[in-house]
Amino acid sequence: MLVVEHLTKVYEDGTVALKDVSFTVEDGEFLVIIGLSGSGKSTLLRCINRLIQPTEGRILWNGVDITQANETEMRRIRREIGMIFQHFNLVERSSVLTNVLTGRLGYLPSWWSLVNFFPQSEKRRAMQALERVGIADKAHNRADALSGGQKQRVGIARALMQDPKIILADEPVASLDPVLAHSILGYLEKLNQEHNITVLCSLHYLDLVQRYATKVIGLRDGRVVYEGTRENIRNITDEEFKHIYGQEAQRLSVGG
Amino acid sequence: MKDGRQTQHKAWLQALLSLLVPGLGQAVGGAISRGFYIFLTEAVLSGLAVFAAAQRPRYPDYGLSFHAYLRLLGASAALVIFLLALYWLARRVSLRSEFAKTAAGPTFAALSALIAVLVAPRMVDTVLAPEEQKKLFALTALFTAMVVAAIWAWNVYDAAQVRGKAHAPSLTPFYLLLIVGIITLGARIVQINPDKAIREYKDTGVILSRIVWPWKVAFDYKASQLVAEAKVQAPCPPGATPPPVNQPQEGQPWVVVTPTCGELSKRDAKGKLTFGTQLTIRGGGFQPGKKVHILWENPIGNAFTPRGVGPTEIVVGPDGTFSTQLYIPDVTIPSMAQGAQIHTLRVVQRGTAKFTGKLSKAMKLALEKMLESIMMGLMATAAGILLSVPLSFLAARNLMHNIHTTTEGFVGGVLGLVGGAYAGKRLADVLTPLVGGLEKAPVLTFTIYVVLVLGLAIGAYRLLSRALAQAGERLHPTLSLSIGILGMALIGGGVGYALGIGYAHGILGITRGAEAAQAMAHSSGMFGAALGAALAAFWASRLGANGKIPIGQFIYAAVRLLLNIGRSIEPLIWAIMGVIWVGPGAFAGFIALTIHSVAALGKLYSEAIESIDPGPIEALQATGATRLQTIVYAVVPQVLPPFTAFTLYRWDINVRMSTIIGLVGGGGIGFLLIQWIHQFQYEQAGLAVWLITITVATLDFISANIREKMV
Repeated sequence: MLVVEHLTKVYEDGTVALKDVSFTVEDGEFLVIIGLSGSGKSTLLRCINRLIQPTEGRILWNGVDITQANETEMRRIRREIGMIFQHFNLVERSSVLTNVLTGRLGYLPSWWSLVNFFPQSEKRRAMQALERVGIADKAHNRADALSGGQKQRVGIARALMQDPKIILADEPVASLDPVLAHSILGYLEKLNQEHNITVLCSLHYLDLVQRYATKVIGLRDGRVVYEGTRENIRNITDEEFKHIYGQEAQRLSVGG
Repeated sequence: MKDGRQTQHKAWLQALLSLLVPGLGQAVGGAISRGFYIFLTEAVLSGLAVFAAAQRPRYPDYGLSFHAYLRLLGASAALVIFLLALYWLARRVSLRSEFAKTAAGPTFAALSALIAVLVAPRMVDTVLAPEEQKKLFALTALFTAMVVAAIWAWNVYDAAQVRGKAHAPSLTPFYLLLIVGIITLGARIVQINPDKAIREYKDTGVILSRIVWPWKVAFDYKASQLVAEAKVQAPCPPGATPPPVNQPQEGQPWVVVTPTCGELSKRDAKGKLTFGTQLTIRGGGFQPGKKVHILWENPIGNAFTPRGVGPTEIVVGPDGTFSTQLYIPDVTIPSMAQGAQIHTLRVVQRGTAKFTGKLSKAMKLALEKMLESIMMGLMATAAGILLSVPLSFLAARNLMHNIHTTTEGFVGGVLGLVGGAYAGKRLADVLTPLVGGLEKAPVLTFTIYVVLVLGLAIGAYRLLSRALAQAGERLHPTLSLSIGILGMALIGGGVGYALGIGYAHGILGITRGAEAAQAMAHSSGMFGAALGAALAAFWASRLGANGKIPIGQFIYAAVRLLLNIGRSIEPLIWAIMGVIWVGPGAFAGFIALTIHSVAALGKLYSEAIESIDPGPIEALQATGATRLQTIVYAVVPQVLPPFTAFTLYRWDINVRMSTIIGLVGGGGIGFLLIQWIHQFQYEQAGLAVWLITITVATLDFISANIREKMV
């Protein structure tokens, strides 16, 4: 269970990215965060695995306060939290297999990396992960030879290597076309339902939210302005919509 | 209206202020930086004018006659009037065409510059006598002063126009005057003298041609020559038995000298020659129609061409014989040699030299040293890579800027580093005598020191920094704060003490002498310690318990500073230091190139690291990867192509540098080159220059090709 309590993030230039954000994510939930660009979605996700250091507040992960963890503890916590990114964040010049294997680094001794050593068992695990996302045949291609959708699947395979209990997905489909978006979110849904991995995902399109989310929170200017279940979001009113997205926003539907 | 009057009033004020202090009026008028630059320019230019004037005594015949001055002024005025007339004419003629009107200005400027360069020297030639021209050279100070005055005048006019930053007249006159001033001074200081370059070029041709096409000395030639010898005794004391007179022999070259005994010529202290005995020389059996050369060989076997005692080159007659007369030359006899000595007169006729196809000694030497240079460049590049790669990561802002430590961790780290290093040194002190010490096994001993000092320092650093950082988190805040303050005070005190001692020796040693500095070192150190401890403790208390110290930024700044220093000092200077350190030779050059390569590559590498995509780093951090793992899997793959390109580029530079680093004793072909130049062996020097050129061009081509394929 992930509990976020009174989380605030003020950047060094004074920008308030998050203001007193609190919510709870039960195990096995598919929680979607919605909001405009700059509303604090990325900051919120990055605070959870401390890629960004929160200014105030607590984040309890199964009872442990992530914000207070030291370096060694953080390594242990981070390897339970997978993350996928809008721009995939693959090492373009490395092979797909190496990119997937890097997901396992949190479990491996640091000095092995000096000689670029991965045990055979980990390589098999990486191949299995690639099979699960359906691109095992690309294992030895360079990452920059893949299409956008394939790259995001490598990103998911990399996260799977961590044996994650939760996956943070920062606008995972914003760089992809609608068909690919459904395919990627389909993988996440499968992981969520079949392997009981909690998913925290930020999304732009409301129809995708309605299709995949079990729970939704809306952020606006760093504050939580909306909290709802799948039912709530399916019946979202114009008023609620404008409360999240601002008065000028128009509802539109993309894909299906 | 009121505004206008106010502006009018201010314009006068500004002009007046600028008349007193250049630039002040502009500053008051709102154009502060404009005023500052005008002031700076005037200060620098007048300073340089004073400098030029101070050099006047070095030109004792300074000062043109009034007449010459008038002629010069008249000619200059005529030139300026001519130019202005030309400009006016150009404007008149081109009034109808917009393009021509805009083009008139630049054309006029270009034409003036052309005339200044081409016509002005000729004009000076015409109106001034040569000895007057020399004096003109000393007029730079006056001329610069005129430029200063002109800028001053312009500045007053400018000040009157300035109304805030937006309303300021064009700066073009200022820039033009500035350029004139700088060129005048620059030409004088650099002693640019085109006349000399042209006048003396013809004498250079012979030597230059030897350098440009030196291939004759690259090969060995077999010279067939005809030789005949005769013995001569000198001096000729009474009762001596002179060598027998030669007899002409058929079928081989011969020479007959009479008499075979005589007195040497003498040369007094002033170089005046008193002739000795005159010899009659007859010879035969040589090739008709060609020259023979007469050489004199002294008793210890040194042969030379006799000078000033008669002809030494004689053309052989049609029957193969010749005859001539020669005084016995003046020969410096070693002081140990007593009494009569046997000298040899040798007649040599050289035939045509035959090409053997074998490389000459000089060429072989040059090739060998060229190889040495290339290898030096290669080794320096390799060593440079090894040392600069780790440094470059420390000098990459994006990797270092977010590394922080707590006060307690910092205290533990520094104490660990210092304590560990000290313990390592003591341990090595005990251990190294067992392997023979610095004298018998220098490398092993040094390695033991490095491993122990570094190893224990890093080990203790990790242990103590972690222990104290964790203690700082667990303990009561007051307690951890006092640990932080105490530790920081200790560190600050140590640094302050070292700085205090350094101040005593480095600064007081200069102003008050070494002995006084020695006496004051202790108190200065203690004062530094107290001040350092107080400042550090104050800082620690401000940071509070678990205060954040941006240790990464400190390391970044320190490494950057080191790299900048290393790069700012030219490889040639490093080579001089290397020669002082390990003596002349390729090793000194290697050290010099390595140091410069580390600094240069470190900077290039770190900039390559700074420009990588941060996404993969973020992704790997999110998986729980350590810093080392993140670098290996997210940074290294991204920086490999630029690193390769920079390395090749550096290799290129290093081989180039290695060819001339020998000029200061750093080994390689440069060493040979400078020797040959000093011995006036221009052909051989030419060989070296050719080899360098070929090597560098080849290398350029290869590295450009590889780089193209790599990146």
